[in-house]
Amino acid sequence: MTTEPRIEVADLVVRYGDTTAVDTVSFAIAPGELVTLLGPSGCGKTTTLRAIAGLETPYSGSIRLNGDVVWSASPRRNIPAEKRGVSMVFQSYAIWPHMTVFENVAYGLRVRGTSAVEIRSNVARVLDMVQMGAYADRPSSNLSGGQQQRVAVARAIAFSPTVVLFDEPLSNLDAKLRAEMRVELRELQRRLDITSLYVTHDQEEALAISDRVIVMNGGKIEQIGSPEAVYNRPVSRFVADFVGSANMIEGHVKSVNADGTMLFETGAGSVIQAAAGKRDSTTLALRSSYIHLRPDEANAIAGIIHRRMFHGDFIQYVIDWPDGQLIVRRPPTELLEEGSAITVSFAPDYCVLL
Amino acid sequence: MRDLRVWIVPILIVIVGALVLYPLAFLVTESLNVGDPQIFPPEEWGGGNYVELFEEPRIIGNTLLVASIATVLAVLFGFIQAWILTRTKIPGRDRLERLMELPYYMTPLIGALAWGVLLGPRTGLANQAWRAIGFNSDFFNIYSPQGIAWVMALFEGTVAFVMISAAMKSMDPSLEESSRVLGASKLRTALRITLPMVAPGVLSATIFVFAEMLGSFAAAFVLGIPGRFYVVTTAIWESALSYPPDYGHAAAMGLSLFGAMLITLGIARVIMRHGSYATITGKAFRPRPMDVGALRYPLMGIAWGYIAVAVVLPLAALTLTSFQKFATVIIPQMQFTLANYETAFSLGSIGPAFANSMILGVSVSTIGVPVIGVLAWIIYRSTMPGRWLMEYVVMIPQAVPRLVFGLGLLWAWINIPIPLYGTLWLLGIAYFTVFLPLGLRTIAGVVLQVDKSLEECARVCGASWVHQMRTVTLPLLRPGLVAAWLLIFIASVRELGVSVFLMGPQSKVIAPAIVNSWLSASSELSAAMALLQTVMVFIAVAILFRVARQVTGTTG
Repeated sequence: MTTEPRIEVADLVVRYGDTTAVDTVSFAIAPGELVTLLGPSGCGKTTTLRAIAGLETPYSGSIRLNGDVVWSASPRRNIPAEKRGVSMVFQSYAIWPHMTVFENVAYGLRVRGTSAVEIRSNVARVLDMVQMGAYADRPSSNLSGGQQQRVAVARAIAFSPTVVLFDEPLSNLDAKLRAEMRVELRELQRRLDITSLYVTHDQEEALAISDRVIVMNGGKIEQIGSPEAVYNRPVSRFVADFVGSANMIEGHVKSVNADGTMLFETGAGSVIQAAAGKRDSTTLALRSSYIHLRPDEANAIAGIIHRRMFHGDFIQYVIDWPDGQLIVRRPPTELLEEGSAITVSFAPDYCVLL
Repeated sequence: MRDLRVWIVPILIVIVGALVLYPLAFLVTESLNVGDPQIFPPEEWGGGNYVELFEEPRIIGNTLLVASIATVLAVLFGFIQAWILTRTKIPGRDRLERLMELPYYMTPLIGALAWGVLLGPRTGLANQAWRAIGFNSDFFNIYSPQGIAWVMALFEGTVAFVMISAAMKSMDPSLEESSRVLGASKLRTALRITLPMVAPGVLSATIFVFAEMLGSFAAAFVLGIPGRFYVVTTAIWESALSYPPDYGHAAAMGLSLFGAMLITLGIARVIMRHGSYATITGKAFRPRPMDVGALRYPLMGIAWGYIAVAVVLPLAALTLTSFQKFATVIIPQMQFTLANYETAFSLGSIGPAFANSMILGVSVSTIGVPVIGVLAWIIYRSTMPGRWLMEYVVMIPQAVPRLVFGLGLLWAWINIPIPLYGTLWLLGIAYFTVFLPLGLRTIAGVVLQVDKSLEECARVCGASWVHQMRTVTLPLLRPGLVAAWLLIFIASVRELGVSVFLMGPQSKVIAPAIVNSWLSASSELSAAMALLQTVMVFIAVAILFRVARQVTGTTG
């Protein structure tokens, strides 16, 4: 069995005139993996995806699909989009309004000269997968957003591509539908074992759906890792801030203990024990969800509840403490009154020195 | 492949540039010719032709007079119609809004002929009626500056309507609503919020209409020449086609007119861009029309009144005249006949004029649409360098008055050793050149509407460029291409300004033929021909409306 990556991007640079949209980006995606490109708008994630699809001409670097070079700067090689054998789900869905649902989904098969019988069975199969079987003969011009989304997915997987690229496929759906489709997409991807590269600016979606997350900022990769690693062990202030909700506490490392843990002194003079991190760090990142409002953990500091906001799935507290304000998220069962004096505490393991 | 692509744009720019700029270059050289005007290249150079312009301030004065009256009237018509149709609740609003396009398809030539029939001194139908009820003078003499302005205003009123209602529609209704919520009265809201929002749109419409008016020809020609009342355009026509022709003088006038229009249009554009708060978002809102209570019937009457006066009445007058034996209809002694239509179809030169216009209309649009389609695709879809320069060159004919462009073409092709002058080929080339902007704008509208990812998706699905064009791009563009075809056809069939200079004995076309028949004092025949032309145009317009409805049906 080969473990050769399906997608391999090396030192990719994409430029528009003088601006560099993608700046020496490299990563590899193994067969069956779902990897997310996560970042704010303009970070180069969509450009990277489009370069892989062949819709954008890079400036330098190389792209391999299934081991074959589809783009490289030197020697110059540029396989056109239609010959790369990848498939893509567009942000706007790009459902052709002048064709029926069936014709949309059959397009990739027809282009490949598949027999009519096979087209019919294949289209029926994938439309059933996305629960659109009953819509095959409908004109596609008056489908709802969610239905268009399903047809777009069906069309992308109909011709059994080895790689599917997703360009913010859920961003035009409302929140409820988005959460449902997220589950369905992941289910489908696992079932069919489709190698996927998925672009999103929604950190929650990225964490929920991916095997690995690539966080991008300003055209560069900030961090590559599993959702847990990116959430629990952010390597930069940007990642800590962009993924999840985190408190940034300014200060410096005071000393290193014999067991490798460090003592971090905040600006206001509190001392926090952190499990690991950089010695020269000046910022400590602390996830809002990892802070208790009782003296349960090793680091315990007194504070007062300034504001309480009930979100339903969690309660967000704003705590006044010596270093300003601290955002804390607790389960909705832990209801405390504004103005109460409490002790915040958190485990050294979740204190990340950046 | 790559090398070819690099060359496509420069080659196209050179071809289109030659078509567009070559006649203009000829005009410039000729306007500086102070020697024998028949000799090319000029033997003596100088600015004499331009100096002469100021020795006849009467023509400039006439032009400004007519243009000013017509502009005021047209903007008034346009504003009232726009307000009624976008801001008030009157019965049948949608239908009226659609009908508002009709005056534009009437052409000033037909309007002028019809109003001549209605309000000509003594014999005009309305004037006869006026005298019949006991008055001793005419109700109104249409063969006057005010008459020319009236006919033009009815026509340009539609243009003003489109621009002003666009400004009214692009205003977010919540701007007015928040004023009301904060306690301002309806009147205060109208004065402090609505008016300042719409004012830039009205102002730029005013300037735009004024600029178009400066370059208008047909009405001033039909209604001005009999009383020897000349404006710039008719003076150009007179200089160029009288004997001996004074091309230098005509060219100088034409270029000055071009310059004046360019400056005015530039001002209109600046106002549009900098002064307009309403269009900043570029979003279209559905303005909430207000309840006008019992006023809704008078308002509806006003709206229908405009259509009646601009379309129904002139067509009715022309129809009546076209069935008359004698041009000068005396109401109690009418004699009906079909002879004028027989003549229109059979007479030596008139039958061929219809045939030629059809041939030109069909072939110019059939060849033009694919060519302009490729240009539009390159300009708005490709990433080829130089494509914006190309857009600029293609749009130039829009800024040049048709008549001036025709003059340039005339002079340019007389002096070229290819025997094209006096043939349909030359008319075809000329039509193609002057309709480039029309075609490009129409097709561009659709090209920009088609989301790029629809095409990209086809490529990623494995389709080659050719297959993608055939299965995705062209089917999606089809309504726009059909609309462009029809618009170019309509424009060709109505064309006057260019044709008047380029038509030869073997290449007559409708509009100038109508003018000629009118000049030979046969207004009943002109009426029949004008009606036939209008029927051709309206059939095409009817198809166009159907297509337009399909477009909104599939992409909306």
